Amino acid sequence: MENKSYYIDEDIIVINRELNSLDIFVRDFLDILKKYSEYLIVSGYVSISTGRTRGTEDVDCLSIIMDKKKFEKFFDELKRENFWCYQGETINEIWKYVEAKNSLRFARTDEIFPNMEFIFVDSSRQAKFFELTHPQKIRIADFEFLIPPIEFEILYKEIILGSEKDFADAGHLREFFSDMIKKEKFDEYEKIIRGNLG
Amino acid sequence: MNHVPLTNLDYVEFYARKLKQNPEIFIQQKKLIESQMKSSKEIFRKKFGKNFKENARKYLRKIGLIE
Repeated sequence: MENKSYYIDEDIIVINRELNSLDIFVRDFLDILKKYSEYLIVSGYVSISTGRTRGTEDVDCLSIIMDKKKFEKFFDELKRENFWCYQGETINEIWKYVEAKNSLRFARTDEIFPNMEFIFVDSSRQAKFFELTHPQKIRIADFEFLIPPIEFEILYKEIILGSEKDFADAGHLREFFSDMIKKEKFDEYEKIIRGNLG
Repeated sequence: MNHVPLTNLDYVEFYARKLKQNPEIFIQQKKLIESQMKSSKEIFRKKFGKNFKENARKYLRKIGLIE
């Protein structure tokens, strides 16, 4: 498998490269988050982790809304492990964002970028909830994490997000994964995504 | 396909096609990411100094990333 840029190993997409500092930032954050909640890495980092060469400032992470007690433990552990939250220092400062389902951003201590944009999802956000509950495993070296199905990610970028950058990210995924993406999956996911628009 | 890339999307697809065939190209991507992260770290540590969080939050409010 050494001459291939990716291959499939028991339903896991394996990317044939070394970890970089951005991957390690994401891995360290997810090592904490996984103890508290389901999650899904979406958007730009999906393209970048599979080889798209562009800069990024944030990594988007979907998560199920936690109760306050659990979220406080998660927040305290992040602080202990040298992450800081843009929006505040204490649970009481940031809980209003969680309740309103507004995203929070976390970066390493004494750094701003990259940051993890932490987006809360429940079943009222139909498309996001679907992808969160239908994850695809991906592995880079020893770092395994969850992303949306590739066809879903492509369509979400093309139909919902729609900027030039999103079309380029989708174009990268379409070309890089051309050997594995399936037309019937596009048909299935397009209905879900367009249904969410109405 | 051997056409000359014309648009940004053409270049992205051309690069993805080459990358798919040759994992060595990931090395270039790693260099770009390491360079970007190193520069960002140095610039903002210098810009915000000892009161990093306080100064960072002022900056983040100014650019609209937080309320």
